Amino acid sequence: MSENKALTPSNKSDVKAARQLPIITPAVDIFENKNEILLHADMPGVQRENITINIDNGKLYLSGSRTVTDSGAARWREFGAAEYSRTFSVPQSIDVANIKAHLQDGVLQLQLPKLETAKPKQIKITTG
Amino acid sequence: MWARMNELERMLNNMDIFRSRLGSAFQDFDQLAEQRYPKTTGDNYPRTNLNDTGDNLEVMVEVPGVSKDNINVKIQGNYLELSGKRTNEVPEGYTVHRTEREALSFSRSFTLPYEVNADNVKASLNNGILTMTLPKSEAAKPKQIAIS
Repeated sequence: MSENKALTPSNKSDVKAARQLPIITPAVDIFENKNEILLHADMPGVQRENITINIDNGKLYLSGSRTVTDSGAARWREFGAAEYSRTFSVPQSIDVANIKAHLQDGVLQLQLPKLETAKPKQIKITTG
Repeated sequence: MWARMNELERMLNNMDIFRSRLGSAFQDFDQLAEQRYPKTTGDNYPRTNLNDTGDNLEVMVEVPGVSKDNINVKIQGNYLELSGKRTNEVPEGYTVHRTEREALSFSRSFTLPYEVNADNVKASLNNGILTMTLPKSEAAKPKQIAIS
């Protein structure tokens, strides 16, 4: 009678994935000059490898998850594991291949260069 | 006539009770909401966690965008004070589209549950989280009692 007749094997990692993390919208700063757009996002506690940045069809999807290691007994707790997520509209004139991302002190710094064709051009007038 | 007045008074009293109960119900609701999403304005910025690992107290502080030179930690006995500032300058020659990350200076102080040995505190700043390990002073450490 002890035969296991479960049709699907239980998988412990599925249990972990089902846990809902609170979703935080990171605060951002956006700057622009004629060559590029800069996006700075506060994402404290997120490791570099846990950030994903996707650009698709004029949308930039930014997400990252953080874990907070709890050791010992909690006296008080004001923050914990969370998921950061935010979506931005980006102009089509962004040079997707040359986007740079840098993480420093819990702030993600994205550098979105504009395509050469989208940069403003000064037209020189010649006199003849 | 007096009977009427008494009746009216009783009704008004009942209404008062109802009102105070309704008020406390709303208060409960606010408390619940605050537990889940603690506000980060004013008194409780930056947010912290405090863990007790037996020999040490561990403090974690959420300080995005603050470099380690801009954080000051003061410890005396069981008093901990955190202060610092976040500078946030617009890079030269850029126009601003959105600023949600404000420059700010903060200060927060705590009374720790135990006295700590301030000389042996370890602190590290990693990805915007400041983690400090504060060893408890000898008197506050748990003692193993041998049973004879």
